[in-house]
Amino acid sequence: MKEKIIFQKSQKGRFTDYVTNPQISIFPPSHFIPQKLLREDLNLPSLGEGEVVRHYTNLSRLNYCVDTNFYPLGSCTMKYNPKVNEDLANLEEFLHIHPYQKEEDIQGTLELLYNLEKLLCEITGMERFSFQPSAGAHGELTGMLIVKAFHSLKREKRFKVIIPDSSHGTNPATASMCGYQVVVVESTKEGLVDIDKLRKLMDSSTAGIMLTCPNTLGIFEEKILDIREIVHRQGGLLYYDGANFNALLGITKPSLMGFDIVHLNLHKTFSTPHGSGGPGAGAVGVRKDLVPFLPVPLVDKKNDYYYLNYDLKHSIGKVRSFYGNFPVLVKTYAYLLRLGKEGLVRVAHNSVLNANYIREKLRDNYQLASSKRCMHEVVFSCKDKKEEYGVTALDLAKRLLDYGIHPPTMYFPLVVKEALMIEPTETESKETLDYFIEVMKRIDQEAKTKPSVLKDAPHTTFTKRVDEVSAARNPVLKWEEYGE
Amino acid sequence: MPYILNTPSQIKEMLEVVGLHSLEELFSHLPPSVRIKGHLSLPSGLSEEELIRVVKRLAKKNKSLSNFNSFLGGGIYPHYIPSPLNHLIGRAEFYTAYTPYQAEASQGILQAIFEYQTYICLLTGMEVSNASLYDGATSLAEAVLMSLRIKKRSKVLVCESIHPEYRATLRTYLKGFDFLVEEIKFNRYGFLDLDILKEKIDDEVACLCIQSPNFFGLIEDLESISEVVKGKEILVILVTNPVSLAILKEPAKLGVDIVCGEGQILGRACAWGGETFGWLATKRDYLRQLPGRIVGKTIDREGKESFCLTLQTREQHIRREKATSNICSIHSLNAIAGAIYLSLLGKEGLKKVALYSLNLAHYFYQCLQDIKEIKLVFPSSFFNEFVWQVNDSYQVWEALYRKNIIPGLILEKFYPQLKDCILSSCTEIKTKEEIDDFVRCLKEVIR
Repeated sequence: MKEKIIFQKSQKGRFTDYVTNPQISIFPPSHFIPQKLLREDLNLPSLGEGEVVRHYTNLSRLNYCVDTNFYPLGSCTMKYNPKVNEDLANLEEFLHIHPYQKEEDIQGTLELLYNLEKLLCEITGMERFSFQPSAGAHGELTGMLIVKAFHSLKREKRFKVIIPDSSHGTNPATASMCGYQVVVVESTKEGLVDIDKLRKLMDSSTAGIMLTCPNTLGIFEEKILDIREIVHRQGGLLYYDGANFNALLGITKPSLMGFDIVHLNLHKTFSTPHGSGGPGAGAVGVRKDLVPFLPVPLVDKKNDYYYLNYDLKHSIGKVRSFYGNFPVLVKTYAYLLRLGKEGLVRVAHNSVLNANYIREKLRDNYQLASSKRCMHEVVFSCKDKKEEYGVTALDLAKRLLDYGIHPPTMYFPLVVKEALMIEPTETESKETLDYFIEVMKRIDQEAKTKPSVLKDAPHTTFTKRVDEVSAARNPVLKWEEYGE
Repeated sequence: MPYILNTPSQIKEMLEVVGLHSLEELFSHLPPSVRIKGHLSLPSGLSEEELIRVVKRLAKKNKSLSNFNSFLGGGIYPHYIPSPLNHLIGRAEFYTAYTPYQAEASQGILQAIFEYQTYICLLTGMEVSNASLYDGATSLAEAVLMSLRIKKRSKVLVCESIHPEYRATLRTYLKGFDFLVEEIKFNRYGFLDLDILKEKIDDEVACLCIQSPNFFGLIEDLESISEVVKGKEILVILVTNPVSLAILKEPAKLGVDIVCGEGQILGRACAWGGETFGWLATKRDYLRQLPGRIVGKTIDREGKESFCLTLQTREQHIRREKATSNICSIHSLNAIAGAIYLSLLGKEGLKKVALYSLNLAHYFYQCLQDIKEIKLVFPSSFFNEFVWQVNDSYQVWEALYRKNIIPGLILEKFYPQLKDCILSSCTEIKTKEEIDDFVRCLKEVIR
């Protein structure tokens, strides 16, 4: 049965008491505050605990998630989220801490961050990290503001940023938010940055390049050292969009590839859960001469005492309140300690092996977007299927739901027509991949023999295909029937 | 091998399918000079049991709020969190799912966020809310960017009594552009100085940013402020405490155009300021300028009511450099927790939380009024926190701390002009005994 909207469940007079009546005289708000600033009525529902618990439990059961379903959502790294990390992040001594407590009360918190920073520096080759950025895009904003501050300090007028046409949408959006003009460099037909075109675009008015490697086609940028040479020679900086770092853990470091600034999506590569769309964390690391530009504060140590260091000469300031999504950082730290150096390489090995296995098994049924070996994810194009059978990437994706599989990322990267972007991650087993492969082949057959099954999919989910067009045409964004 | 399921023989089998002899060969096309030689210089992995021991050892070096009689507030507040909340948020179907791109496989998340948006509108009186942002500070920054797009003007007026970290964040967010940010001082009563405001208004001003209850806890006279900017084509942006809205008038009825703030207050832990979400609501006219995700109601192919992400042409994955913001992942789980908190407490519960916080803070204020060494710096029209002054405040603070009392936040760091001033806060979890204990110790310390 469809779960009613919570506001429909309200019953006047129903109430569960959670707070204690303080043993003082209680005066009405008007005793303290001018009447004209007080509200007449608070129109919230009146519910009971049992039904609230049932409501949200029932809602939760309508979702696919990593714990219940294979979730090969490309560029999102939906790997298993270890349970022990949740336990540790929820320790009372971490959770019940106010951001304005004294440093001496939070030595454990600070030591954890200090240690975590050291680990990430070794993994990426960067000098220091800031944990303030609260998502990947937030990390990009932080990183590109550092680029801007770096060039401004040298009194260089650089107003452009180069971004590949295969990039994440956040890259150009971030460059814009930093006041840059976006210059798009095209990809070759193999999906790599076109080096000749880059060479022509890069000049002394360009601040740098934002790059994902492996890129969004899942391909390693083999000419990365040429890219570095071209950008650095003109005084530009290389920004590493580390949303896709899973394949390279322990294999290479952004510093070795020539990157100057890095953000890491801790909620992707480092196993912290995605929480239906956050909170994540987008830690930003920089090379040595860019450290003074990082957001304040950093965590430093003096005689075994950890402290918050606000003394950064060219800091871009703060990018949010307080210090970052600390519970996410605890989970990241726990993950790294649990895996260790050998475990990290195993992540890279198995994530790349799993993606290539799918690639090999499905290449006869689905058109590859690139002939190059893939890394953590593989991109197929359904352009031919659309032309031949009239079924789109969307139809294929929705049909996967009928087989209990969360669809891959669709229609991205934009350079691939009718793209399906599949990222299995290292935590899936061969058995799961074999099932997925078998399903994909079956769907390929269905596309040929009975395309309507795909067009009408999904059939088995509680909610059938949703009309997104009318949602946008006539936006209903809150429960209107309630109240007033 | 933690978290890897492939066995050595499966790996071998899969390599054969791919046509390779070893895992190393998967990376043979990388330039040799970028390869790490050998292993990273990191420790080897721990067993789960060792891991717990190591991390708990760190945790024990902290002294949590449970060890103190604390009056800290200033943007993050310890309210009581009903037990069911974390059980519900701890359901894997919420916390291990991604952004609900695939509506058919995410109806629970989508409905929960739709209800969240409704709650934010009910509290604020506004017409539309987005699906959350990172925190209060970034929600203010995004609200200001919205106003600059809407008004196409170049100046931003910001009250100095807005949370200092929010103002710092706003300054960072505007660094890429040539906009002018002007701060408006508070008057000697701690309120926005209307005379200065009048002087600063010109036709380049896009927005006025106010906080109420402001950083000193004071409830600003929004009606009079709106009166001043009326007819000037200036958007009023309000930062507020969502719990205070249980008793305070809906911002939409006070001439406010965009209202935003911190969501931790609705059912998340203090977590060193790391369990936040930003919330933001506005008028329908400005819907197309909202940053971030929005959930809308629609129907499925059988005509059944359902939900999906909507108005995505505002967003980075479609509009790229022309998007309203670069935001992608938001803080959904914390926002859903906020909705669950409001559902559990309900109308009466939230009113009680606000009423008790208000009364306890005022009881505390009364107690301090009777101590002649204490100066109550601003008037008493505050919500749940207020500013007081004492000579040698640092010594007094330390002396109380040694008695396991955290008196509040020393303001001098943020406001040099507020020498020896302390901001103290109460929520409904404070008790009369704790306040009386504080007052008794304070008297001992200063006399």
